[in-house]
Amino acid sequence: MGDAAPAVEARCVSKSYGGKRVLDCVTITAARGELVAIVGPNGAGKSTLLRILAGLEPPDSGRVRVERPVGLVFQENLLLPWRSLKDNIALGLRYHHVPRHEAERRVLEAARLLGIAEYLDRRPGEVSGGTARKAAVARMLVLKPAVLLLDEPLAGLDAGSRRSLLKALRGVADAGRAVVLVDHSLGDVASVADRVYVLTPGPGRVGAVLELRGLPLGERGRLVAEALLRLAS
Amino acid sequence: MLWVFLSRLYPDFVPSPSATIAFLVSEGVGKLLYNTVLTLSRSMAGFLLGLAGAVGLGYLYTLHPLLREAVKALNVVLQSISVLIWIIVFLMLFGIYSPLPPILVSTAVSLPIMLSSIVAGLESSTRRLIELAAVLGAPRWRVYPDFLLPSLVPSLAGAARAALGAALRISVVAEAMGASGGIGYMIENYYSLAEPVGVFAWGLLLVALMVTLDQLVLARLEGWAKSWATLPQR
Repeated sequence: MGDAAPAVEARCVSKSYGGKRVLDCVTITAARGELVAIVGPNGAGKSTLLRILAGLEPPDSGRVRVERPVGLVFQENLLLPWRSLKDNIALGLRYHHVPRHEAERRVLEAARLLGIAEYLDRRPGEVSGGTARKAAVARMLVLKPAVLLLDEPLAGLDAGSRRSLLKALRGVADAGRAVVLVDHSLGDVASVADRVYVLTPGPGRVGAVLELRGLPLGERGRLVAEALLRLAS
Repeated sequence: MLWVFLSRLYPDFVPSPSATIAFLVSEGVGKLLYNTVLTLSRSMAGFLLGLAGAVGLGYLYTLHPLLREAVKALNVVLQSISVLIWIIVFLMLFGIYSPLPPILVSTAVSLPIMLSSIVAGLESSTRRLIELAAVLGAPRWRVYPDFLLPSLVPSLAGAARAALGAALRISVVAEAMGASGGIGYMIENYYSLAEPVGVFAWGLLLVALMVTLDQLVLARLEGWAKSWATLPQR
């Protein structure tokens, strides 16, 4: 973990739906400049945890502190199909009364960072899944969030798009934001994450924490393999 | 075939297709155009009023839980009122020579169809969009016009197709019961004169108008709307 105070801090968070416990005393932290991944199988409560961090749902118990503003990228992107990518990305800026020229500058900056500047005039239905996902990320980035949360951003993307998006998210974290993403598998995210929380099958508990910051790729792979073996046993 | 068969069986009551078309041609372009435009404009005006009312009620629906329940209750009430009641009420209120009854009857038919579509759309698939609006910082009053209403356009286009067709059909009935012009008025006029060929000719024009409107305009509009605003399904 970095030296700065955590931008995201969840202490022993629990959540149940209809008497069924989904999260059981989960603790995670993420500081500005860190890319933190939460991985686990279906039903481990990953998305629930993300929604709690985003403030869309309250926890049943535990303490949550998240630096504002928060950006949340939904799993299904939720780009508005009747707007161009440019208008989708700029949408939130209207509600924050950002002047037009400043809004255009921010949109272009975010689009360049994510490598989608050439697609800005297209509609979501006219671009690939990877480009649409990056546009959904850009829509949150232009709001200059302290914390960026992403719900399974790699789902449905091909290998090239996954690598490219992870590289872009690494850049977002290096630019001083706390990035927290959830995913199914360790494989992809372990290559760029500073820390990985592995949740157990429901009810989700933190089964392992992998500190990967500054480690070379080979060492990361070894730690991931060890963690998987430990969890399997 | 059935029409030809019936015209031979009952020549005094059912004119042949050729006689009907010949009568229609003899009416003259000016008369046909004038009455067609009159009926179409009344139906369209009534439909647009119904659409505006449904959109406005949809907005109220999103503002407060109490308003939501009120709109749902109003929707149920509107669905249960027979269009015949509306025709009689509007004729009593405005008189048989007023241009308003055919327009308002079209509104009374369109409004429940459009409102049902909006309420069903708002009830089924809007939670994620509302969450997105919240994450983007949209104030509550912007959620409906910026997120929810555009996402309902595909289903609204389908409902509009049904509503405009119904408005056209029912405005003709209202014209027949009391109006000074329009396709319904012409049908009633020839019925009073005991000229079946006139009734069939103007009825044929109405059917042609509805088929043309549906296939050449509304069906294309619905296809365009679906490609414009259909959200990906999760």
